[in-house]
Amino acid sequence: MNLKALMFSLFLLPLVTVAQEEEEEDYSMYDDLEYADESSTTFVSPKIIGLSPNRFINVAWDVQSPYTMNASEINDYAPDASWTTNESSNVSYTGGLRLNANIPVVSRNNIVWQMGANYMNTNFSIDEADPSNDPILSELNRHSLSTGGLFTTVFKPINDKQFLIFQGQADYNGNYTFSDFHSLGLTKYSAAVLWGKSPHDRLQWAIGASRTYRVGELNYVPIVMYNWTSKREKWGTEILFPARAHGKYWVNKSSLIMFGYELEGGSYHLSGLSNNGNSFELRRGEVRPRIEWNRKLVGFFWLNAQLGARINYGFAYDELENGKEFFRGFVGDDEIKAFSSLGTSLYGLVGISFVSL
Amino acid sequence: MKKFKILSIILGGLFLFTSMSYKTDEGDKLIGVWEPSNKKAKIKIDKISGKYYGKIVWLREPIDPVTKKPKTDKNNPDESLKNVPLKGFRMLKDFVYKGDGEWADGTIYDPQNGSTYNCVIKLRDDNTLDIRGYIGLKTFGRTDVWKRLVMKKKK
Repeated sequence: MNLKALMFSLFLLPLVTVAQEEEEEDYSMYDDLEYADESSTTFVSPKIIGLSPNRFINVAWDVQSPYTMNASEINDYAPDASWTTNESSNVSYTGGLRLNANIPVVSRNNIVWQMGANYMNTNFSIDEADPSNDPILSELNRHSLSTGGLFTTVFKPINDKQFLIFQGQADYNGNYTFSDFHSLGLTKYSAAVLWGKSPHDRLQWAIGASRTYRVGELNYVPIVMYNWTSKREKWGTEILFPARAHGKYWVNKSSLIMFGYELEGGSYHLSGLSNNGNSFELRRGEVRPRIEWNRKLVGFFWLNAQLGARINYGFAYDELENGKEFFRGFVGDDEIKAFSSLGTSLYGLVGISFVSL
Repeated sequence: MKKFKILSIILGGLFLFTSMSYKTDEGDKLIGVWEPSNKKAKIKIDKISGKYYGKIVWLREPIDPVTKKPKTDKNNPDESLKNVPLKGFRMLKDFVYKGDGEWADGTIYDPQNGSTYNCVIKLRDDNTLDIRGYIGLKTFGRTDVWKRLVMKKKK
């Protein structure tokens, strides 16, 4: 064998062989393989095809158009009492910053555990809010409403079709500032548990129950989840009823339009109206019918823009004796300290998210 | 004399190659056919020019339910690649063996959404891989378990 032939057989022949394998590979040989030792267990995925991007980190700004806010006198009212306006003003600006982080702690095929934190701020600019004549409106005008929360979500597959979801959340809500925190005893706790199935890659549904402050005051409600994507992966739904329900349309893989509604709210401690160790709390709940556009910016950074209406669901005030929470439900007769009404306004939200698809 | 010099270089190279073979053998444990935990595909991992690459060689559902044709990489963000058949598609790229049963510096492509993720592969045992795809930081990722497949033994 001469030198050229030796070099060819040592270095070039393997490359030629690889190239031939690439072109001529018979894939049918992989039809009938067996495990070298044992099969892995298949677990249902927390995602389905075509689900909207999962936001790890989100920064957004929310703003509402002007509207009228009315409030009753502070007194003791039955929940179904009629009330007269004692304070009234145009609210020229309502809006604020929203931050959200949702970080995977454990993310394996047999369990996904995420921890998160959120901060939401709502500033009110109320045109006529005289502290001596308008105690409620001036209190809202004095400091913004803030929500600071920690939450955790566990997705636990049972097998290749069924799963459980646990969610817990602790929210610290009120018109506090960073130099003037309220008692941690006023923290609001929410939780949800769901059991569900994913019959195929484009559908998952679940039923469960939650303890929630979504409409302002404490409530216990059943929940239904229904996430579905069409065969062509264009249309679909993302529903977690009653908290939110959306239809969706993927324009392309970088652009998603959603349309539906979300319930938003919480119970906020108002320090200026709280006396004798009691907590004067705003029970705020609103419905936001909207259209939402999610658009890929670069890499895993996406734009989120929403346009819709903010419709008042509840804006009443309770006094919690010694800060102790109570459950009124839909039929309870615990007294209400004051009522408010808000005119409907338009709202817009723009945010940037770091996502996973 | 010139021929002797070239022969010496080749033999020297062979010696070097042999002395490195232990580490190479360790890294080559990745070579073979593997099945992700969802059992929807089989991935064949090969070594090409010192790096490890994995391509799809089998699909549980090879036909697209909409087009009724063999599945293609329809979610690829590159328009020119949308018609490339998924079978044969190289979804693992550029892995380098780092020692201690770990391959890194590579990427994994998810045909379901057309995204490419950073990826690290760890050998749990000779027949089990922990494959973690992530975005930037390993925190933002998910680990899947892949099992080794072999040709059926003749009975």
